[in-house]
Amino acid sequence: MIAQIGFSILLANVMVYAWTEYRRAPVIAILALLAATAGLYFVWLPTHATRLAALVGIGRGVDLIIYIWVVISLILLLNLHLKLRSQAELITILMREIAVGHARTAEPSK
Amino acid sequence: MTADKQKEFDGGSIWIVIAAFNEAAVIGPIISDIVRRNYRVAIIDDGSQDATGQIALAAGATVVTHPVNLGQGAALQTGIKFALQRDASYIVTFDADGQHRPSDIPRLINALADSKAAYALGSRFLGSSHGMPFGRRLLLQAAIWFTRAVTGLRLSDTHNGLRAMTREGASRISLRQNRMAHASELLEQIAASGLPYVEVPVTIDYTRYSLAKGQGLADSVTILFDLSVQKLHR
Repeated sequence: MIAQIGFSILLANVMVYAWTEYRRAPVIAILALLAATAGLYFVWLPTHATRLAALVGIGRGVDLIIYIWVVISLILLLNLHLKLRSQAELITILMREIAVGHARTAEPSK
Repeated sequence: MTADKQKEFDGGSIWIVIAAFNEAAVIGPIISDIVRRNYRVAIIDDGSQDATGQIALAAGATVVTHPVNLGQGAALQTGIKFALQRDASYIVTFDADGQHRPSDIPRLINALADSKAAYALGSRFLGSSHGMPFGRRLLLQAAIWFTRAVTGLRLSDTHNGLRAMTREGASRISLRQNRMAHASELLEQIAASGLPYVEVPVTIDYTRYSLAKGQGLADSVTILFDLSVQKLHR
């Protein structure tokens, strides 16, 4: 029960995080929400996890939950990458303004 | 070029935008050749470590300097923004590595004026290319198919840096891809703009220098990744 509650709190945090990211990266947010929902479902219904795990050839239900957690981690990693790209875009805009404002032209030789 | 068009083109309303990163070895003669033809040149020195900026300035270009290297896409967008601020009527993008011919520039501008298109896209496959390796040809063909699938544009050449655009066309371009994926992004934006475009035969001269600077198979994987990832966020 303690593990279930701990996992649920973590997954709930993932869902809240996904919700806050929805406006900026909707695809990532939806993927994270789906994965977290699946995680919550299997944490509280482990027999379903075991049945599904056997069906898809994973073995144990707990392994399925770990796999889902790995998927969530990868999605969040991708989201971090997207945030870095957004930061890079902002830096580019800033540098562009600086560069255009400091354009140099040689004095005419004539 | 007719007298009317020549009259319209004089007066510095045509800006040639060249993104340059560490091109000190070749940039001087290229700029001199273009300036001699009465075009205004904006070199976007993309954080070069060598004397690219000084040489460009001495050759008669206006130099816009990125404090650090951002990539060719970022440099082209900076050049487009700069040229628009300088009231450019036409903007031509031109590679810094010497594989384009300045003599093709009037052909692109004339194509815009004659066809009333917003974009004139250079095509080496309608024109000619010298010294193109077989691997590069295959890569370009794959890029053409990809562009047709993604944008619907039926082009004969998709990654040619020699292109011209009207002021209206340029104002519809807003490149977010800083690096090599900008060429595909630009075509996506042309397709999305709904503005007319024409292809113009041009000549590409491959040299050992330009091939060393060009893209390989690994770059195309990076381009695909960059284009895919951009779809995931705003």
